[in-house]
Amino acid sequence: MNMKWLLVIIAATFEVGWATGLKYANDTLSWTLTAIAIVVSFTLLIKAATSLPTSTVYAVFAGLGTVGTVIVDIVFFNAPINFWMLAFVALLLVGVIGLKMVTGDTSERRARS
Amino acid sequence: MSWLVLIIAGLFEVVGVTGIQKIAKGKKRTGFIFLIGGFIISFTLLSIAMEAIPLGVAYAVWTGMGTVGSAIVGMIFYNESTDRLRLVFMGMVITAVVGLRLVSP
Repeated sequence: MNMKWLLVIIAATFEVGWATGLKYANDTLSWTLTAIAIVVSFTLLIKAATSLPTSTVYAVFAGLGTVGTVIVDIVFFNAPINFWMLAFVALLLVGVIGLKMVTGDTSERRARS
Repeated sequence: MSWLVLIIAGLFEVVGVTGIQKIAKGKKRTGFIFLIGGFIISFTLLSIAMEAIPLGVAYAVWTGMGTVGSAIVGMIFYNESTDRLRLVFMGMVITAVVGLRLVSP
C-alpha cells in the first residue's frame, strides 16, 4: 500500500477527534485540542489529495470519518443507535462516496479536455 | 430546530470548500474570506446541533449535506455534469437525512 494512504487514515482519525471534541469539549484545553485536530485533519487531507487521486481520497476520507464517529459514539458514549439509524447512515455513505467518485471523474475529464 | 441548524451547518461547509477552490484559482482574498467564514460558521452550528443530536448521526448528516450542497453548486454555477447517477446518489443522501431525522431520538 502506498504510504501516502496512511496520511488519509491519520487525517480521518483527527477528523473523528475534532467531531468528538465539537460535541464533548467543555474547557479551554479540550477546545484547543479540537481546534488543533481540525487544522491537522485539513492539512493532512489536502497534502494527501495533491499526490493521490483526489476523488478517491475524499471518498475514503468521508467513509472513514463517518464510520469512525459512529463507532466512537457507540463504544465510548453509549450512543442510543438503533438498526434504522445504522441503515440510514449506510445509505448516506453510499450516496456520499458515490457522489465524490463520480464528481471527481467528470471534473478530471473536463480538465483534460 | 437542531436539525435545521445541522443542515445549515452542512451547507456552510460548501461556502468553505468554495473558498478553497477560489484560492486554487488565484482569487486569494475572497477565497480566504469564504474559507475562514464558511468553516467557522459551519463548525459553530454543527457544535450547537450536536447538543441535541448524537455524534455519529450529526457528523454523517453534516458530511452528507456538504457533499450534496457542493454537487448542487457545481451543477448550477460550474456546469458540472447532471447525469442520472449523480442525481441518484444525491437522492440517496437526502433520503438518508430525512430517514435519520425520523428515527433519531
